[in-house]
Amino acid sequence: MRNLGVALVYGYRYTVGPLVAGRCKYHPSCSQYAIDAFREYGLLRGMILAGWRLLRCNPWSHGGVDYANSQSLFRRRAS
Amino acid sequence: MIFLAGILTPIERPLTAVLEWLHGTVGISWGWSIVVLTVIVRILLVPLTVKQVKSMQKLQEYAPQLKAIQQKYKGDKQRTNEEVMKFYRENKVNPAASCLPVVFQIPVFIALYYTLKDFEKDVLPNYPGSSLEFLNGLVPNITDNVNAHWSGYLLLVIYVGSQLLSTFLMSATMDRTQRILFLVMPFAFVFFIIRFPVGLMIYWVTTNLWTTGQGIITRRMFPKTQVALPKRSSRTEAAARAEPEPAAKPKRQAHAQGKNTKTAKPAAKTQDGSTAQASGSGQQPRPVRRRKKKGPRARR
Repeated sequence: MRNLGVALVYGYRYTVGPLVAGRCKYHPSCSQYAIDAFREYGLLRGMILAGWRLLRCNPWSHGGVDYANSQSLFRRRAS
Repeated sequence: MIFLAGILTPIERPLTAVLEWLHGTVGISWGWSIVVLTVIVRILLVPLTVKQVKSMQKLQEYAPQLKAIQQKYKGDKQRTNEEVMKFYRENKVNPAASCLPVVFQIPVFIALYYTLKDFEKDVLPNYPGSSLEFLNGLVPNITDNVNAHWSGYLLLVIYVGSQLLSTFLMSATMDRTQRILFLVMPFAFVFFIIRFPVGLMIYWVTTNLWTTGQGIITRRMFPKTQVALPKRSSRTEAAARAEPEPAAKPKRQAHAQGKNTKTAKPAAKTQDGSTAQASGSGQQPRPVRRRKKKGPRARR
């Protein structure tokens, strides 16, 4: 299931992404964050994390370095 | 797709309402209503652009520090990105666009698609006798697909042209792969855009022209000798040569200490940090380029 999420993000990247292009103020970018989040936390939790990240990536935030696995919402998956 | 349509209803409704208002109350044709709608959307986004431009101007003060960071982590794109981002955050300056406004535009596109698709069925009956022509009949019906009439093809050509133009103006800060992708994309898109309603094409062309105009204006607001964050791409050799080379003193050394405490994955770094992590570019390892004027970010 999580691959579905990852596939969707790749789908976005190679289709609409370039059309509505901007740049992300975070590192890694929102789409990469989403991919990482899906891989590490699965579809549902990944989606929540990615959605929250997109909301944070707004014109009033200052961006910065923010990895998916440094989130504090869910317990970290043992890898 | 039906499920998508359901989700987008909250966007579709106001969109239709604005179109109906423009046509019914203001009294312009449906085609021009779409143009005006686009302009309204773009005007709403102007404050964001202004904010971004201001941020970029402010950034010039920090140019030497940024240059120092880039020199320090030269060859390690990932690390450079991290440090630059951290620097932005600490100094409360960030020239990058945000994802949210960009992502928000996707539903708008799709909602307009659905609005136009059912336009003749849902909206038009309320306006008996109104015409779907655009530009005095040059485009006979804006809800028809692009490939239904030669004017659609004309718009398609204009679309590709305007897309390339606006990309060219915007691509200043992209790296090579991204830029190529952006330039090839409109052509690849032609194949499925051809089944879109012409009205969507009108939206697209208008928004591209807006972007182009905006790009030309904002470009004028920057002096040519930007140091750390070149407006032109990292690969424009000529620009790189033309740029005066300031003596980059690593003033931000102190800042670079203590970074490991903040970095989430300090252990995962390898010799060539550009490839190792799951994050970062998310692409195949690219040979490390040694250009001086490297943009700070790998991709969005």
